[in-house]
Amino acid sequence: MSAKVTKDQSRSRTYTRSGLVMYMTEHCRILFLLSVAFTGLASVFDLVGPKIVEYTVDLILSDEDRGVSLWVLSLIDRLGGRELLRAEIWRIALMVLGVALCAAVLRYLSQMCGSRGAERMVKQMRDRLFAHIIRLPETWYGQNHTGDLIQRCTSDVDTVKSFVADQLTTLIRVILLILLSCIFMVGIDLRMTLVAMAFLPVIVGYSFFFHVKIGETFLQADTEEGKVSAMVQENLTGIRVVRAFGREMYEKERFLTKNKAYTALWVRLMRLLSAFWATSDLISGLQVMSVMVLGAVLCVHGEMNTGSYIAFVSYNAMLIWPVRELGRVISDLSKAGVSMDRILAVLNSSIESERPGSGGSALGNEISFRNVSFRYPGAASAALRDVSFTIPAGATVGIIGGTGSGKTTLVRLLTALYDLPEDSGEILLGGRSLRDWDRDEIRNTVSVVTQEPFLFSGTIRENLRIALPEEEKEERIEKNGEISDKSGNAADSSKADPLSEAEEVAIRRAALTGTLERFTRGIETPVGERGVTLSGGQKQRLAIARMLMKHGSVMIFDDSLSAVDASTDRIIRDRLEEMRSTEAEGERPTVIMIAHRITTVMNADLIIVMDHGTVSQMGTHEELIKQEGIYQKIFSLQTAE
Amino acid sequence: MQSSNSKADRKAARFFGIPGILPYVKPYRKKLIFIICLGMISSCIDAATPLFNRYALNHFVGERTLDTLAVFITLYVIVLSLQVADNFLSTSICGQVEVEVNRDLRDASFTHLQNLSFSYFNQNPVGYIHARVMSDTSKIGETVAWHMMDIVWCGSYVVAVLVVMLCIHRPLALAMVGVVLLSALVSALFQRAMVRYERIVREQNAVITGDFNEGITGSLTVKLLGIAAKMDRSFFRDTEKMRRTSVGSARVGAFFTASVALMSQTALALVLWQGGILNREGVMMIGTLSVFLSYALGIMEPIRQLVRTFSRLTAISASIERFTDLMNTEPGIRDSEEVVERYGDSFNPKKENWEELYGDVEFEDVTFIYPDGEEKVLEHFSLKVKRGQNVAIVGETGAGKSTLVNLICRFYEPVEGRVLIDGRDVRERSLLWLHSHIGYVLQTPYLFSGSIRENLKYGRENATDEEIMQALAMVSADGIVKAMEQGLDSEVGEGGMSLSTGEKQLISFARALLSDPAILILDEATSSVDTVTEQKIQKAISVLTKDRTSFVIAHRLSTIVDSDLILAVSEGRIVEQGTHRELMQRKGYYYTLYTRQFEQLAVDSIDKNKNI
Repeated sequence: MSAKVTKDQSRSRTYTRSGLVMYMTEHCRILFLLSVAFTGLASVFDLVGPKIVEYTVDLILSDEDRGVSLWVLSLIDRLGGRELLRAEIWRIALMVLGVALCAAVLRYLSQMCGSRGAERMVKQMRDRLFAHIIRLPETWYGQNHTGDLIQRCTSDVDTVKSFVADQLTTLIRVILLILLSCIFMVGIDLRMTLVAMAFLPVIVGYSFFFHVKIGETFLQADTEEGKVSAMVQENLTGIRVVRAFGREMYEKERFLTKNKAYTALWVRLMRLLSAFWATSDLISGLQVMSVMVLGAVLCVHGEMNTGSYIAFVSYNAMLIWPVRELGRVISDLSKAGVSMDRILAVLNSSIESERPGSGGSALGNEISFRNVSFRYPGAASAALRDVSFTIPAGATVGIIGGTGSGKTTLVRLLTALYDLPEDSGEILLGGRSLRDWDRDEIRNTVSVVTQEPFLFSGTIRENLRIALPEEEKEERIEKNGEISDKSGNAADSSKADPLSEAEEVAIRRAALTGTLERFTRGIETPVGERGVTLSGGQKQRLAIARMLMKHGSVMIFDDSLSAVDASTDRIIRDRLEEMRSTEAEGERPTVIMIAHRITTVMNADLIIVMDHGTVSQMGTHEELIKQEGIYQKIFSLQTAE
Repeated sequence: MQSSNSKADRKAARFFGIPGILPYVKPYRKKLIFIICLGMISSCIDAATPLFNRYALNHFVGERTLDTLAVFITLYVIVLSLQVADNFLSTSICGQVEVEVNRDLRDASFTHLQNLSFSYFNQNPVGYIHARVMSDTSKIGETVAWHMMDIVWCGSYVVAVLVVMLCIHRPLALAMVGVVLLSALVSALFQRAMVRYERIVREQNAVITGDFNEGITGSLTVKLLGIAAKMDRSFFRDTEKMRRTSVGSARVGAFFTASVALMSQTALALVLWQGGILNREGVMMIGTLSVFLSYALGIMEPIRQLVRTFSRLTAISASIERFTDLMNTEPGIRDSEEVVERYGDSFNPKKENWEELYGDVEFEDVTFIYPDGEEKVLEHFSLKVKRGQNVAIVGETGAGKSTLVNLICRFYEPVEGRVLIDGRDVRERSLLWLHSHIGYVLQTPYLFSGSIRENLKYGRENATDEEIMQALAMVSADGIVKAMEQGLDSEVGEGGMSLSTGEKQLISFARALLSDPAILILDEATSSVDTVTEQKIQKAISVLTKDRTSFVIAHRLSTIVDSDLILAVSEGRIVEQGTHRELMQRKGYYYTLYTRQFEQLAVDSIDKNKNI
């Protein structure tokens, strides 16, 4: 499944509205077609019911066989003849039931095909959106709001779903019903059909125009509701400010005003809606009356049988409701267009371009920046200017500099989150230009812990293992599932699985052991939205442990010790050093520490001092404190005590 | 959670919790009675309409005459007009009652929230409370108006139809009653299954929304860890689960629809069979048979509707329960009756009785435990602060620095001992009095959407533009306003979105300055801002705290060093107090804290040094 989607990504096609519908319905078109076909058949059976009643009244209960087609008569003969049926009316009742059963089964099948299709379609759409969204480049995220994106993925998807699954199918169903009943009605009497149908355009048209017109008022009401809702949101978020300034009264009055305006709008809407319902009631009532009166007149003139009259009135009653719905459905169709465009805007943004990887690296993991300049899209000034340096494989490097000096930009470029344009220098990893590296390959080689790490909802263990190959992880999850299933609450206290060696080591190196001991559920403690809230420092340390589990050959700590205190910072660095010393010479990972604190970087093999997008100094701690410059200044400030 | 659930169930069993909202419905009782009458009339007319058809069949068709056609048409039109007018009135009044009850419920809950204590807001996330005020209330209004209307209409329609049928032909009508009861039973069973499925679908939907949220907010991490394919797989599993549940839910729904349709056809067949026999024997005319046929078909939908409405009521009783729970939540901290008597409440203050606030603050043997905690945060703590003194509170994140501030503001009350303002217990005067005299600047400055002027007037309602500009100038924020095209009228956006953090801070300083409080409480922001703003903020803080009793939860060196008294807090306790000099000499907790902070701040000051 995932391989297929990934292949889709590489196609990276641009969709139009109809293209999107085609894509979404790729695997469910047959189901929708079946659904419509079943509805059509069900409608036929629905329409046959009144026919049976008609013939029962005309041929069995009386003898009005005028105008009755021959095959009906022969069918009755085959069923045992009029006399038998008249004597045993239950046979007819059974027939009605039989027809109803067929209709019910068909209707059930139609609904099932419809909803199976719809769910398959929504799944397809959601999957596509999700796979696309997590692969969109960081530049794109800079320009879009989270809330808006989630809206697009949830409520816009629902709108499009109901467009295809409900509205389109309703439309087809109602039109089919009108056509079929037209045929049946014409079979009974053409003049009456014309009278009955003459009202339909009026009902549909009226309903359509009303819903189009009232659409604006609905939008207005939505906006007003948004205001009330935002006011509540703000008041609750800023409740401390409200209290601190003693402005409860002011807030209350503001709310009452907004709430009143919103309510007034809805009262008006309700009145409009009632007027609409009442008017369409009137039109339908007149239609029913016209049919009834005309039918009676025709019967009296001997141009119509009683049974036909009853059947016609039943057909007419069947039509009225769906037709009244039709106008609303048509006017709703336009709403889906807006949602579809919003989804298309996401799907048509290009994802991170795929780059072919080519061969291994000859030079281990040497990192080299050559005359790199970079400007963020839309930014006024350059973030990096002519930056050059080389980090030998297996070295420990410190990067220090003030806010906005370009430290993080180095990381973003190195991990291919942003692409270095042509002619802006070159970044080499293992002696090979970064442009010749596959992105996943780069990120498997270079691991980063950011300043504000993101943890996934799940347990600490799941977070630790998230970057590991799946088989191992799934096995574990299943095991845990069993445990919690069997023993219920007991699983909480009986600490699930003991730590694996790798976990134990990573946790110890990230100085998390003590923290975990304080949680009653240890490593199975849930974190994130629905779990324990971790402090900034705990999050950073967990992210470090997560990185250590991954065993990347280049490790970057992007200010990721900022929220831990100085002594823990120290412990983590010591353990990293210890880890490095246990590795063989050629296999030592490269460690890059980006920090504010001199103490964090001072033991590094090489320290790069960044300032306003340029490399201002480079060297070891001993060399740099002797040079006049920023490093010396920071050093003297931080050791002033 | 478990206990509150079962409580909800118990209450739901009692009239779906409706008694709890009766006070809000009472003002509309006349309208509701009117709606009930209209609904009953409407259903009777609906039940009677097929009789026209019966007459047409029996009289016109049966007797081959059109003699009464004019009367027939006139009568039909009259009845139709009546019906239309009735429907118009009942739906529009019903709609009105719905939205007005909603409005009243929202007003009541919002007003109530303005009085609730902070512990309530600490325990309940904003989103949760927001849903109480916005979505629960709207469901209740819908219930009161439309669901009642549905029950009345459907109920009386079914009764009316049964009565008419009983009048026409008793045995056949009784057979119909049997079918009706059966279908009601079947509907109820299905409905229960459907409600259960709906809940599972909703929950699964929340999971998917959560996934999207995680994928979007964690996109950077997903890339850096190279786990996109893995995320895909786990998401596909969730959507697959959603698909299965939804299809399952649809299956129940489709089966339900099909069986209801089948049941109404059964009723039809039954009538056709028995009615046919009666007709054959000349006991029942064809028109009467036809009426029975249309009743047999027509009675099923209202029954289904009734069942659906009742099952909705069960679901909505949870909303009602949550709403009444909110309204029954008492503010943990409230003024005593004597205090309200003298000083007024939050919405009707008696400002004529308010004393000035001089500015002495004293903690007298205070012991304090947070309502949701167990540990004593303060134990027999005493402290005297004279008017005009500046107190700095320092300590690590989460050490409990806000506790003192919460007590001074009476956001919480001590378990033992007293907090005195100007020598009198804070509880002796009203909350509004206290808050009107205390200025509180939050760590994360919060601005309301609206213009800058509106935000500043939050500090003092009657402030003139000159006063506002003066206050802005004192905290060096006048430049921000002048740089904006619309000056004071510029919109700040939701939560002050269009301003930078530093700008928001300065504006919130000006807001506090305008309220000219006798006691100032300031929670310094830790977030880093650019050098120029940083200097402005430092200056503004010294302006704000000058000649004012102030408590500053401090992160900035200058604020700490210059204060008259420093309280060092660790693990929820005040471990050291004294001036900077005293504490540095002691070389204790404060000393380590200070040297470490100094280290961290050093880097940020590089640029500053360069500028000098």
